[in-house]
Amino acid sequence: MRKRIFLSLSASFVLGLAMSVSTASISVAQTTLRIFTGGQQRPDVMRKIADDYEKRTPGVKIEVEVGGATSEQQQQYLNTVLASKDSALDVILIDVIRPAQWAAAQWAEPLDAFLGADKDKIMARYLPAYREANIVGGKVIALPYFADAQFLYYRKDLLEKHGVQPPKTWAELQAGAEKVMKAEGNPNLSGFQTAGAPIEGTVCTYLVPMWGAGGALTNAQGQLALNTAEARRPFQLWADMKAANVTPPNLAEIPTDRIRQNFQAGNLLFAMNWGYVWQRTQNDADSQIKDKVGVVPLPGFTADRAATCIGGWQLAVSAFSKNKKAAFDFAMYLSSPEVAKAQAIAASHLPVFPEIYSDPDVLKANPWFAQALPVVQTARSRPVSPAYPRVSEVIRTNMNAFLAGAKTADAALADMTRDLSQVIR
Amino acid sequence: MATRLSSLERSERRLGIALLAPAFALLSGVVLYPIYNLIRMSFSENKLTEPWLAKPWIGFENYAKAMGDERLWEATWHTLLYVIVTVPGAVALGLGLALLANQPFRVKWPVRLGLLLPWALPLVFAGLIFRWFFEYQQGLVNNALIWIGLPPVNWLTQEGPAFFAICVAIIWKTSSFAALVLLAGLQTIPKSLYEAAEVDGASKWQQFWEITLPMLKPAIIVALIFRTITAIQTFDIPKAMTDGGPGNATETLAMYIHKTTIDSLDFGYGSTLAVLMFVASAILTSIYLRHTRRDPSAGRH
Repeated sequence: MRKRIFLSLSASFVLGLAMSVSTASISVAQTTLRIFTGGQQRPDVMRKIADDYEKRTPGVKIEVEVGGATSEQQQQYLNTVLASKDSALDVILIDVIRPAQWAAAQWAEPLDAFLGADKDKIMARYLPAYREANIVGGKVIALPYFADAQFLYYRKDLLEKHGVQPPKTWAELQAGAEKVMKAEGNPNLSGFQTAGAPIEGTVCTYLVPMWGAGGALTNAQGQLALNTAEARRPFQLWADMKAANVTPPNLAEIPTDRIRQNFQAGNLLFAMNWGYVWQRTQNDADSQIKDKVGVVPLPGFTADRAATCIGGWQLAVSAFSKNKKAAFDFAMYLSSPEVAKAQAIAASHLPVFPEIYSDPDVLKANPWFAQALPVVQTARSRPVSPAYPRVSEVIRTNMNAFLAGAKTADAALADMTRDLSQVIR
Repeated sequence: MATRLSSLERSERRLGIALLAPAFALLSGVVLYPIYNLIRMSFSENKLTEPWLAKPWIGFENYAKAMGDERLWEATWHTLLYVIVTVPGAVALGLGLALLANQPFRVKWPVRLGLLLPWALPLVFAGLIFRWFFEYQQGLVNNALIWIGLPPVNWLTQEGPAFFAICVAIIWKTSSFAALVLLAGLQTIPKSLYEAAEVDGASKWQQFWEITLPMLKPAIIVALIFRTITAIQTFDIPKAMTDGGPGNATETLAMYIHKTTIDSLDFGYGSTLAVLMFVASAILTSIYLRHTRRDPSAGRH
C-alpha cells in the first residue's frame, strides 16, 4: 500500500515537472486570468468565447469561475471575496444595478487610464442606458457585456387557438389568460408568472407596474415618494391577478428561472422574464414549446404607457487583480461588437450596440430582436445608490410578503416606506 | 533530591508550555482575535457601501439602535421558537431512534446507517432536500396530499406552515446526533439491572421508566445542551428553505446578522448584532452548564 502511494506520488511529481517544463517552453510569460460569471449568464457560451480569446492571444489562459444562479447569490459570494481584498478574480461579471456600489466600495478598477484618449469614442458606441450605467462620478467603472430587459413571453399556439391577441394592457392580459385557461381546462396551466420569491427579480415585479402607472420611487428632488396612488397600483394589480387565479397560489416561491422552466414545460401561458428565455425555449432538448413562443413588450395599464426594468451584465476589472492590463484587454474583447453578435446568436443575449439588432444573422436566430431595440432603449433603471443592496432587500422582502399573503398592501407599503426612508433621504 | 525533582518539574512545565504554545497561538489567531475584532467593530460605524465615512468610533450608538430594532426582536423570537420546538423534538425523536438502534437486530448496519446519514449530511443539503419536499408544485408532500384527496398546501410561503416545515427539517437533521449521544448512554446501562427487573416481574414499560430513563438522564442532558447551542445558531436550513420568507416571517438571528453584514455590508451594526447573540447564547449555555455540574454525578449517590 505504502509503496503504491509512493509510486503515484512520484509519478505525479514527474508529471508535474514535465508539464511545467513544457508550458515554460511554449510561452515566455503565461498569464492566467480568472473571470467570474453567474450560473444563469450562460457560462458555457462564455467558455467558448474565452477559448477563442486564448487562441488569438498566446500566453493568456482564461479560467471561468461560475457563481450562483441569482444576482444576489453571486453578490453574496463576491462581497466576501472583495471585502477581504482577494486577488483571485480578475474580471467579474456584475449586474447593471451594481456599478454605483462597486465604485463606492472601490472594488472595481476605474478603466479611464486603460481607455486613454479613446474613452469617449469607445463609450459612445454603446446604447446610452449602458454608457450611463457604467460611468459613475465621471469614471468608467465597467464595460457592458450584454443588455437585457423584461419582456412578455406568450404561447403563440394557445393564443391563436382561442382567438386572443397578444395583450397591450394588464387588463387584456388577465382577460386573455382567463379565457384560455377556462377553455383549455388544464389544471397544470398557469396564466401568468413573474418573480415573487425574495430575490432581486422581485424588485421589478414591484417597480414595473408602478412605473407603468406613471409613478417613481423618488420624486424630482430625489426624495422617497411612496405616498402616491401609483405606489399602490402594483399591489392592486397582483392582488387582482391572484384573485382571478391567473397567477398561481405559490407565486411567492417562484424565482426567475423557475418561470422559464414552467414556461418551457408547457405549463405557463404568459411569462414576464428576461431576454435569455428565448434561446432556451427554442434550443433546449426538453423544451415542449419550440416554435410556439411569441415575445412582445410588457403591457401597461394603458396601451401607450408601458415600462420595463433594464437589466444586463457588465465587466468589471477587480481593483485587487494582479494583472489589470491583461484583464482590461480581455474585458474589452468581451465587450466588442463581434462578441456581442456571437452571444446574441448563441444565447439570445441582447446586444449593447444598436447596430447589431438589425444584423441579418442575429435576426435569423432571434426574429423578435427587431422589436426589442425600442424596449431596451426605453427600459428604466432601478434606483442608483451605493446602498442598493439594502434598497433591493426592503422592496423584495415586502413584495414577497404581500404576494405570499403574509402582509396586506397597507402593511407592506408602510414597512417599505419606513425602511427605505433610512436609506433614501 | 527535592531540588532535582523540582527542576524536573520545571523542565516538564517548560516542555508543557512549549507543546501548548502552537495550539494556543493558533486559537488566539482564529478565535480570540476575531472575537476582539468583532467587539471593536460593534462600536464603530463600518459600512462597506460608504467607505468615505472612514469607520468612526460611535460608542454605544449601534447598541441603542439594536434595542429599538423591531426586526431584531422578531428574529430573536423566531430563534427562540425554533429552540423551544426543535430541541425537545430532536431529543425525543433521537431517543426513539437510539432505542431502535439498541435492539438486538441480527443485521445492525441498516439502522446504524440510517442514524448516521442525516448527521453526516451538510445542513444546507438537508435544507434543499426539504425545500423540494415542501415545494408547492413539484413537492412530494403536496403530491401525497393530492393523492389522498386533500388540497395542496402552500408550505413555504405561509408563516405557520413554513415554520412547521422548517422544524420538521431541523428535527430530522439533528435527531440523529441526539440519537448517537443517547445510544452511547444506553450501552453503558448494565444488563444486570434489566435481568433483575425481569425477575421481579417488571413490564417492558416499567423497565423503560424506572431503569432506562433515569440511567440515561446525563446523556439526555448532554444531548439537550449541544442541541440548544446549535439551535440558537440556526441558519442553513431556513436559509435554504425560505430565505427567511414570507417577508421576514421565518428569519432567525443568525440570518439577520448575515443579511446585515454580508448582503447590506453594514459590518458595524452586523457586529453589534453578533455580539448580542454571543452574549445571549453564553448566558443560556452557562445556565445549562451550572445545572449539569450540580446534577449527574452528584445526584446519583
